[in-house]
Amino acid sequence: MLLYSILVPIVGIIFIVLFLVRYMKGKSSLLTVFLWALLWIIVSLFAIFPDSSSYFAKLFGITRGLDFVIIAVFAVLVYTIFKLYFKLDKLQDDLNTIVKEVALNNEISLDDKEE
Amino acid sequence: MVFEITEEDKQSTYVILPAYNEETRIQPVIEEIARRGYKMVIVNDGSSDNTLKVIMESQRKYPKSIYIYSHIINRGVGVAMQTGFDAVVRYNPKYVVNMDSDGQHSVDDLENVLKPLVTGEAQAVIGVRPLEDMPLSRNFANAVMNLLTKIFYKVDVSDSQTGFRAITNEALKKININARGYLISSEFIREVNDNDIPFAEVPIETIYTPETQAKGTNIVEAFKILVQMIRHQF
Repeated sequence: MLLYSILVPIVGIIFIVLFLVRYMKGKSSLLTVFLWALLWIIVSLFAIFPDSSSYFAKLFGITRGLDFVIIAVFAVLVYTIFKLYFKLDKLQDDLNTIVKEVALNNEISLDDKEE
Repeated sequence: MVFEITEEDKQSTYVILPAYNEETRIQPVIEEIARRGYKMVIVNDGSSDNTLKVIMESQRKYPKSIYIYSHIINRGVGVAMQTGFDAVVRYNPKYVVNMDSDGQHSVDDLENVLKPLVTGEAQAVIGVRPLEDMPLSRNFANAVMNLLTKIFYKVDVSDSQTGFRAITNEALKKININARGYLISSEFIREVNDNDIPFAEVPIETIYTPETQAKGTNIVEAFKILVQMIRHQF
């Protein structure tokens, strides 16, 4: 058995446990935990059974198993970046609302300077 | 006949000045506007220098003309303008003008941009900067932005990126500004157009110095605006 066949599943288990802890603390939804656990289980299975990637590659018309894995990882990364981008965008809007509210509720007058 | 604004109209005109790190430039602008009898809503956009202190010094000299609001952190000119528009309606203005606080715009042009509003010729005005005075890089970015405003917002104007604009209170209530940065210039024009607000362009003077050129719509800003315009399509 190759080294990565051992390391990847260990990393996968650590991440799944971390996500379970976050769920128990109420920081992540059950769906998020499920999706990340599913991803790490698939990645770990590919690491333990490298030839299985060739089977999935053929299903999608891709020649090599490794190419399939790279494309799948790329797709996950693109999805994650977009999700983070929209989340960040929403946070920016929320922050702007707060900054505007604070400014509008605190008009600066001469008395403020004298305090 | 030379147009002259009445004292009553002056008293009900509010100038919104968004300010970010303008400690060395803003005071002459504020005090000249105050001397001419206009009122101001100044929004300090989280400046890290002494801009707020300088504005407050001017407020001491003209306490009845200057209203100050301050962002706790810098959020961009678009958000500062949103605060300015939200604040100005509290004073029940008749006309609202927006100009840059860095001295790029001439206070002499206030009457020029107000004229179409006062005469009833228009309810919204943009001040158009002379292209021949504009630095080449700024001129190119401006041409690109005019084209993008035409493509994405379906409005053809001579200067889509001007920071000198005026609007009646009635028209202001109809528009909705959500832009964070320099997109506000194009968004203002789009909102005016979409709400069928009678609109006019007025030539204005622009005073370019190395400091005033450091801000505004350059190629990088133009790219950011393009991204936001694309996003707004969805």
